[in-house]
Amino acid sequence: MDTTLLVQALVSGVLAAGLYALVSVGLALAIGVIGIVNFAHGEFFMVGAFLAYQLFVTFGIDPVWSLFIVAPALFALGAIIYTSTIRFVLKAPELNQMLLTFGIGIILQNLALLIWGGDPRTIAGITYRGIGYQIGGVSIGLVPLASFVVSLVLVLGLYWMLARTPLGRAMRAVAQNRTGAALVGLEVNRVYLVAFALSALLAGIGGVMIAVIQSPTPVVGFAFTLKAFAIVVVAGLGNIRGILFAALFVAVAESLVATLVPNGDTLRNAVFFAIIFAVLIRRSWRTA
Amino acid sequence: MIKTARFLTSLALAGLLGLASAQGVSIGILSPLTGGSAGTGQAQRAGFELALAEINAAGGVLGEPLRIIIEDTQANPAVGLAAFEKLMTEDDVEFIAGGFSSGVTLALVESFRTFQPIVMWIGGAVSGIGIDGFDGIEELIGEEDWFFHIHPWDYHNVGAATAFAAQTGSETVALLHEDSAFGGPGSAGAQALLEEAGMTVTLREAFTSTLLGGTGDFRAAISKAAATNADMLYWIGYDSDVVPLSGQIRELNFRPQHIFGAPPGWPTEFAAAPEAQCVTGLIGFMPNLTNPEAIAFTRDYRAMHGVDPDNYMAALAYANLWAYADAINAAGSTDQDAVIAELEAGTFRSPIGDWSFEPSVIAKHQGFGEDLWLVFQYQNGVREIVWPIEKATAPLVSCR
Repeated sequence: MDTTLLVQALVSGVLAAGLYALVSVGLALAIGVIGIVNFAHGEFFMVGAFLAYQLFVTFGIDPVWSLFIVAPALFALGAIIYTSTIRFVLKAPELNQMLLTFGIGIILQNLALLIWGGDPRTIAGITYRGIGYQIGGVSIGLVPLASFVVSLVLVLGLYWMLARTPLGRAMRAVAQNRTGAALVGLEVNRVYLVAFALSALLAGIGGVMIAVIQSPTPVVGFAFTLKAFAIVVVAGLGNIRGILFAALFVAVAESLVATLVPNGDTLRNAVFFAIIFAVLIRRSWRTA
Repeated sequence: MIKTARFLTSLALAGLLGLASAQGVSIGILSPLTGGSAGTGQAQRAGFELALAEINAAGGVLGEPLRIIIEDTQANPAVGLAAFEKLMTEDDVEFIAGGFSSGVTLALVESFRTFQPIVMWIGGAVSGIGIDGFDGIEELIGEEDWFFHIHPWDYHNVGAATAFAAQTGSETVALLHEDSAFGGPGSAGAQALLEEAGMTVTLREAFTSTLLGGTGDFRAAISKAAATNADMLYWIGYDSDVVPLSGQIRELNFRPQHIFGAPPGWPTEFAAAPEAQCVTGLIGFMPNLTNPEAIAFTRDYRAMHGVDPDNYMAALAYANLWAYADAINAAGSTDQDAVIAELEAGTFRSPIGDWSFEPSVIAKHQGFGEDLWLVFQYQNGVREIVWPIEKATAPLVSCR
């Protein structure tokens, strides 16, 4: 095996982990704090991608700058969806919650289809998509590197917020015991709203990144939602702190298999399903 | 301006008549209107709608407005199967048109055989010929009297691509392909033909398309191709793979002389992207073709839909519906044997020019072959036709 290929696989895996972590941490936030599995998470991601595309096409705003518009827009969208739908099913059976978020996802997908059509879209006029820095035969792409750094900053920022700020402490309190938190005067519903909106914001930022890397389509969020679920399971449902390491583990494992095994790219999904399987089996042994 | 407005009004009225009337001949259409292949499905619908408006403006079919019923397959075999059975059992159609995705087509084969309507199909290229242990569409239903296949088979596609590759002077080719019923058999056929033409295939590597659950990270597959230092990178995938593949080829500093892609369609805006420069691709129709039929089709399509017919499936859909209209009118009835006889004997109109059904390797009725295909190259934001030479609008340039 060519050493350069191996190092390239490691570099690509580490850089991919940033985006994986960003998308997963939003999902983990919804699960961990609100206790709801949001099947529309990938659609928030998709909406973020299309907004970045539209801002570029209509106003010529580079995706780097559109981050600052898309993020609050997705926060607002998350808040609206929470207020108008999610809050009514918080005490409903889990199946109802899942069906609701699944339905929201389908509505958002079809709205995107109506507005932008089914053709893959391209943010065409940017010059940095193909830029890669060559170091000893190994390429470090500018876009993956930037998306890794931004994702890392946001995920670490979220960790800091959860650990050090009153809002973060309120989220952790609500996550641990909804009734207890309410009894000590926390506005549980408001904390949930912020957590859900923040989850949508993080997905939206991921969407802006993917709009640069590939073509926004109404179904672009699906693959990333799948990864996010895998990473959330590996980290432990609701364990926000474990997301970064789980994302790194899944992304590097995928990249190594894709590179070292013939036709390995087609095994990426098998890799993370195998990881989920192994993690769940291991946990069941530990609790047995 | 007034002429265009009159044209649009008459087409719209004629089209509405065709969509709304419960009388007359009905044609059931299967197309991926939503899902990952919605772009292609919407292009098909636009082509069908233009043909429908023209057919009804010209008097319809058997003196009545023609009616089309479009069902969405989502490019999903299970959904496609349900949609077909709905057309046969609830809508009672006798004629089926449209089609996209070899996977959907393979899933429909047994149901086609059960109901046996006339199926005139513009999708599903996987023939199965030359692939051991795999039964393709041509092998399974090509010999049926009621099956008419308009789209070229996979060996036609790779035949055209190989002829182009040979013309470039490339000696080594790295093949990347998406891993489904579309890219898998297609790449096997491509490898055989490229080697038969004297070229060396340095790598054949599969990837998961973004259309089918991939995240668009193709760096592993591209790195392996780059390590072989091939003269040409030849990839088979879907239109949503174009942007990530092209960007990552540049990012990884892979500089083959030629980058050639064979997706069913190309993202419209990609032409303006810097990484599009010098990329070549296979396509069945381009708005800058200069034959009179193409000029008329492009003009009318633009007038009706406000955009250019960039996806060749629009042109095939147009040809599909007109062939039904002309054959049924020539038969004077919807009797299946009479319509089949007219489809076998007739010459039909299309934006590419006149065409008719001929036998292929197994199939009794094959519409287009290698002759459908063009190769274009992105040159300074414009798609220039570079192959075949007689249709070329600019010479081919190297990526190095």
